[in-house]
Amino acid sequence: MPQNKEYSPQEIRIQQGGGYGNKRAGRILESFQGSRPVIDIERGKYFTESFKQTEGQPLVLRWAKALYSYAENASVYVDDGQLIAGRAGREGRYGILYPELDGDFLDEAIKRLPERESSPFDITPEDADYIINEISPYWKGKTFHEALAAAIPEETRKYTYNNDSELSSRFIVNETASFRSSIQWVHDYEKPLHIGFNGIKKEAEERLAALDEFSPVDNTEKRPFLESVIITADAIILWANRHAQLAQEKAESETNEQRKAELLEIARICRKVPAEPAESFYEAVQSQWFIQLFSRIEQKTGTIISNGRMDQYLYPYYKADKEKGLIDEDGAEELLECVWVSMAQYIDLYLSKAGGAFNEGYAHWEAVTIGGQTPDGRDAVNELTYIFLRSKREFPLNYPDLAARIHTRSPERYLYEVAETIKDGSGFPKLINDDEVVPLLLAKGAQFEEAYDYSVSGCAECRMPNRDTYTSPCAYINFAAALEMTVYNGKMLKYGDEVIGLQTGEAEDFESFDQFLDAYLRQQKNFMKHAFIQQHEIIRLRTQHFASPLGSSLHKLCMEQQKDIHSPKIEGGIDLGYFEFIGYGTVIDSLAAIKKVVFEDKRITLAQLKEAMEHNFEGYEPIRALVQNAPSYGNNDSYADEIGKLLDRELLAYTKKYSQELGVHLDLRYVPFTSNVPFGKVVSATPNGRLAYVPLSDGSSASQGADKNGPTAILLSNFATKNYDYRNRAARLLNIKLSPQCVKGGEGTAKLVDFIRAWHDLKLWHIQFNIINRETLIKAQQNPDAYRSLLVRVAGYSAYFCELSKDLQDDIISRTEHDAV
Amino acid sequence: MSGTVGKSGIVFNIQPYSLHDGPGIRTIVFLKGCPLRCIWCSNPESQNTYPEIGFDREKCIAGKGCDFCKGVCDIGSFSAAGANAELKGSCGGFREVCPAGAIQVYGREMTAEEIVSRAEEESAFYSHGKGGITLSGGEPFMQGDFALEILREAKRRRLNTAAETCGCCDTEILRQAAGLLDYIMFDIKLLDDERHIRYTGGSNRQILENLEMLFSEFPGLHKHIRTPVIPTVNDSGDDIGAINRFLSGRENCSYELLPYHRFGTGKYKLLGREYADIPERLDDELFRKLKAFEI
Repeated sequence: MPQNKEYSPQEIRIQQGGGYGNKRAGRILESFQGSRPVIDIERGKYFTESFKQTEGQPLVLRWAKALYSYAENASVYVDDGQLIAGRAGREGRYGILYPELDGDFLDEAIKRLPERESSPFDITPEDADYIINEISPYWKGKTFHEALAAAIPEETRKYTYNNDSELSSRFIVNETASFRSSIQWVHDYEKPLHIGFNGIKKEAEERLAALDEFSPVDNTEKRPFLESVIITADAIILWANRHAQLAQEKAESETNEQRKAELLEIARICRKVPAEPAESFYEAVQSQWFIQLFSRIEQKTGTIISNGRMDQYLYPYYKADKEKGLIDEDGAEELLECVWVSMAQYIDLYLSKAGGAFNEGYAHWEAVTIGGQTPDGRDAVNELTYIFLRSKREFPLNYPDLAARIHTRSPERYLYEVAETIKDGSGFPKLINDDEVVPLLLAKGAQFEEAYDYSVSGCAECRMPNRDTYTSPCAYINFAAALEMTVYNGKMLKYGDEVIGLQTGEAEDFESFDQFLDAYLRQQKNFMKHAFIQQHEIIRLRTQHFASPLGSSLHKLCMEQQKDIHSPKIEGGIDLGYFEFIGYGTVIDSLAAIKKVVFEDKRITLAQLKEAMEHNFEGYEPIRALVQNAPSYGNNDSYADEIGKLLDRELLAYTKKYSQELGVHLDLRYVPFTSNVPFGKVVSATPNGRLAYVPLSDGSSASQGADKNGPTAILLSNFATKNYDYRNRAARLLNIKLSPQCVKGGEGTAKLVDFIRAWHDLKLWHIQFNIINRETLIKAQQNPDAYRSLLVRVAGYSAYFCELSKDLQDDIISRTEHDAV
Repeated sequence: MSGTVGKSGIVFNIQPYSLHDGPGIRTIVFLKGCPLRCIWCSNPESQNTYPEIGFDREKCIAGKGCDFCKGVCDIGSFSAAGANAELKGSCGGFREVCPAGAIQVYGREMTAEEIVSRAEEESAFYSHGKGGITLSGGEPFMQGDFALEILREAKRRRLNTAAETCGCCDTEILRQAAGLLDYIMFDIKLLDDERHIRYTGGSNRQILENLEMLFSEFPGLHKHIRTPVIPTVNDSGDDIGAINRFLSGRENCSYELLPYHRFGTGKYKLLGREYADIPERLDDELFRKLKAFEI
């Protein structure tokens, strides 16, 4: 080791080749870590079979019957060594199929999955045949993907799809609704833990009895909804009982007395939950796992249904058990880790190239929220909160994503333990700021008790489980492409002579920066138009293609109104959607470079810059150096930040006006997942000196390597570019990479806490850290076998570095590492 | 001119997110100029009070057709040492000329007000851990009136203040500064004056007198004493032990040893100067032993 070099605990663990000690979950993890995921076809198979038999019936009922068919027929599993029963597919890492979504090209995609670079999957030849011959043909002409493509106007299609047989994404104005049935989501898990699915069934039966027998609406809309809730409750109870039976059988043939006792306990619990209310911590954890797993069977939710505020709704069970002497910290941690390894084996399978590339490293975010405030505004941290943090330090798996809510009165110990966990270096937890999120939720119509009780959902979003009602996945917009179209008068180099965008004039003819900026803003607004046209059609179509009887049965408003959650409008609901700015830093820096170098300092003309860009700056190194040297976002430099604030403001003004027309909130968000990589692949060299087809800047972070003034400056630039007077704001994702030396020792922890407090004071939404040495990433790229367990923070999640594509690895390496002076 | 004396001065860097120079998260302001010439100095661009040019031929892209500097120099025969000797600080024309960062100018004139405003932008990061502004250099009290003006302005804005000094400065300036400081980092390199003169270019007499003054007149001010441990210069138990004994028993005082590093050697090259003949590495084991003398 070099002199005075500091390493994170994760780096030291890998250097020493250490495992996870004698942990039960560690042994399970070692059985599948690094293995290639396999496709399990049962979900696709039983849904397809059932759907063939229920054509013409109300969609919600068809969905419930398909779930019942799955529950009755699918394989069930109680894994060796596990304390928690249940998986949604075969042993090892697995992905499942949702042919109703984009199954129209399932047959083609299946052939490609084992070879693709981002998130590959294996499949057996028999299963591939079954998909090609039995599943795929049924769905052709029936999928949401095809319906959407047919519905959107010709002009909008140009920005959306390539003109190929699969209607693959063009990565300009990208809809994400055809690769997931719903936006990221959180259930109210408290309800089924309190009353069980027998309680939910009873509620549905009472409501059924109370229907107006003469009402056409009650008979054709409410009745099928309630019947589907009853069928779904029966389905999940049946499914759990099949696990109980399997555990019982395994116990009978088990010779090891200890394991036999464990299996008998699993059998007892699976007979009880989720049918009945949970009465112990163990029962609550098993019940919750069954419900979230069955949710995955039900539909493909963007980034998976998140776990909600686990340290809140599980705490009463933990506390009671602890007082009775039934459980201690280690026991609770072991049960949770048994769930974590089960989550880690489920892989969120995206068929489309876009889906796979947006969610690299087999990303899914069933975020666990900890900390924050109680519904009455007190600090919510409890003993269980610390067990979640401890588990992340001792067992740093990439699932679940851990999100720590921070507020003004977050206790010192909590912040200290959060900082210590971040210091481990595997990227957990990410932090979400109550004092930014809560006021925004209030401004969008929430009550205090709902806003204080929000759960982190997916990457960086926040949900109020009984109040949120918007399920349509939203557009990712490549605004760097809008900038390219401004330079090339509506064209992009990748697409040759095809005019895609507005013809705002030839670069040679712009006489002032304001003219150029105005042209860019028109392109930007035009992209918004197409995104909102897509969204209009997605909202209209979703109710014809998706139903969620399970999710709806866990939602207060849906049960009160007897409406499926995918209905276009649910009274009293708040529809919180968003649209995504991809390439924020890239666009700001490009505009700042043009303003400074071309129009202010007049060192080159725009025509010269365009010529250099057309040549990807090859042979034009002086021009590239000049534009790279111009002011850039992320440096607390008002020259660039004011441009950023203007772009943000224009978009907010657009959505303030037009999302009203759609009757929903579509708020401006800066959360890239890993999409800045594929979006970059269609954008040629940009005026900030970025070379052609390399990644765009990510989230609200600075362009790769452009932040030269340290991490405080990045936070201040974020602050400076936000328009706090608009409520139409959603998450901004912020990546900070620090060297382990910055956070060394107790003093380093204290200063990391100071930094987090300052981030909180600035009312920034989100922040996450990579504490790692650049050299470690480079070594991992060169020698992946030695670094299989290296976790890095990617977008809103952590992933195994070696499972990312080379492009994304390079992108992470190129993010500036901040060393303290 | 008297009305403006101290209002502005020459700064060569402002560095936010400093973690290892005083309490909390700090912004360091580097003032140009130092009376000493320590042979191991890692900030050679800090030594002269006037602005200077640095030139990095490796970054120069003249070979790729760049001629953005043709208005100010002939880059083929350009040398930083030559230009600095000729220009004696009047090198404003070279600022922002080079797109590649091959030519840079160390030092620009700023007012105390501007500096404190810059630091204050970072104030969100100061408030939870007693962070604030740190004056460094060079020797910050060489531009004494300017340094005092910055400290007064910082105090007017209720910022936490710290300074890093080599101690070789006007006693009256230091006395006034100490009244405005929350924390001071004070270097002692050697107690043996003959060797002090040999390796730093100056006597340690005034340094030690200034330190005594701080101890006697500012008992409430925490004094963090530091010694950079330089191979063959002061890396002995005798030298470090002597400093330890000199400090032991004093109130409100801590003592830290800083390991030798060569991060500054590249900058000598940019200035067209030679780095001293110092062994490359400080012995790790030796340094660990010497750490026992820390207080």
